[in-house]
Amino acid sequence: MGNLLLMKKYLILVILLASFAKLSAQQKQLPLDDRGKYIYYEVVEAKAVSKDSLLERAGYFVNKFYNKSMKAESSTDSSILASGTLVIDKTLLVAGHPSGEVKYNFTVEMRSGKYRFWLTDFEYIPYQRDRYGNFVATTNIGTPLEKTPGKLNSGQWKDILGGVFVKATKFGEDFKKVLATSRSEKKKKQETISTKKW
Amino acid sequence: MKKLLTAIFAIASTTCALAQETPTSPLEISGSVDTYFKYDFAKQPNNILTSFASDHNSVSLGMIDLALKKKTGKASFVGELSFGPRGQTQSIPDAANGNSSFHIQNLYINYDFSDKFAMTAGYMGTFIGYEVISPVGNFNYSTSYLFTSGPFQNAGIKATYKFSDKVSLMAGLFNDWNVYSATRGVSSVGGQLMVAPVEGWTAYLNVLSGAGGGGYGTIEDLTTSYQITEKFKLGLNAANYDIDNDGGGYSGVALYPQYAVGSAVILGLRGEYFKTKDVGAVEGTKYTAVTLTANIKSGGLTFIPEVRLDHNGDKPFLKNNGLSAPNASQFSLAAVYAF
Repeated sequence: MGNLLLMKKYLILVILLASFAKLSAQQKQLPLDDRGKYIYYEVVEAKAVSKDSLLERAGYFVNKFYNKSMKAESSTDSSILASGTLVIDKTLLVAGHPSGEVKYNFTVEMRSGKYRFWLTDFEYIPYQRDRYGNFVATTNIGTPLEKTPGKLNSGQWKDILGGVFVKATKFGEDFKKVLATSRSEKKKKQETISTKKW
Repeated sequence: MKKLLTAIFAIASTTCALAQETPTSPLEISGSVDTYFKYDFAKQPNNILTSFASDHNSVSLGMIDLALKKKTGKASFVGELSFGPRGQTQSIPDAANGNSSFHIQNLYINYDFSDKFAMTAGYMGTFIGYEVISPVGNFNYSTSYLFTSGPFQNAGIKATYKFSDKVSLMAGLFNDWNVYSATRGVSSVGGQLMVAPVEGWTAYLNVLSGAGGGGYGTIEDLTTSYQITEKFKLGLNAANYDIDNDGGGYSGVALYPQYAVGSAVILGLRGEYFKTKDVGAVEGTKYTAVTLTANIKSGGLTFIPEVRLDHNGDKPFLKNNGLSAPNASQFSLAAVYAF
């Protein structure tokens, strides 16, 4: 009897957590910009870092840190333009699989003591499982996220918008983290702990 | 039960902990379920003899398909099992083994030696042809003669080198077709050249030579698809199979134009010409088949209404009264749910 009650509690907890996670993802969506396009936009203060250092770190982010999913398109002495893809996942309670990818355009602009960046022009490409059990793109032509789907697929589209919000937010956090970290600090040897003296 | 739940949480925690130490992907779970109704207009079951969807005037089962995939560092595995007629009694290895209760669709291990070079060993969906066993991977619910006559799966070891996103080459050694373990040794050699000349167009040139259906032989296959516009896609499959010592074989071509009439509805046609080859003095026979199919999608669910007309001058089909006929036609409605 005790085991049954404990099991019930575990299951309720798991279901509540899963439902909460799903609802959170569904409810949050990116805002629209003045062109009517979804956008992830941030202005970040970085008073202690020079414009050149910020540009160098942004270049590292595009060309090394995220190089498998994005590529630089052009750059100036104060900006970088790039394009890339975010993989959107479909979650089934505790596990899932990729359900599609979203193409985006990325822009970062530097000024002394601050920078701003944004992701926009999102286009969704659905994945399908191929003959080997891998999820691959079904087409090369993306559908703009702003394009309203029919009633038959509106629920799925809301999930995709929620997924894009989660992945774009993660992208933004990663980007800010890289731009807040000096490249020379990263190269410092990892500290070791001596057990000889105590 | 408490122990079981505790063990699950412990394993999940360990996985999360390991994930922080080594580059690893979460365990992927996916699959599909399909069911169908088919009506043969001559009221004859198995009148059009292609794979699956064989029952007449019956709401029948396809299969439930469950796939697992995980990648840790450079190594990954895929395990995919199906249960039900489509993957069980109607699949070749299980029919040969007294109809066991499941069918392995994929069971292989892959290792990426670099971004360009990978090796894979195990039991894999065949690299030959346009259509596949899983209903999720096909536009049409009924299958072509080319699919039914070619290999379904190949066990073996293969190496793939990716020259660029536009060109890759695969070469491998394989068992005979559709068997979990070789009956004639590792007896086949196969290769695939993938080229993607322009964005949206991918072509696969395939060769498989060795022990196969009906004896030792060589199959050459071209499988290609081109997303020409946002709404229009064109696919093509052409193949030739020669069995040694005039043992027969087949050749054929199938064209797959598809047009999206809305965000949730795609219409597609499959036109196929298929010929079996002469075996000694016995002449081969020729089929033509036209299949009109719609895919109506709502989330993971796809409804597939389909009308199919087949013709063969040698009259292999049956009429209502049981007499032979040159034509056969059928209607089917399938529901496929992918998760």
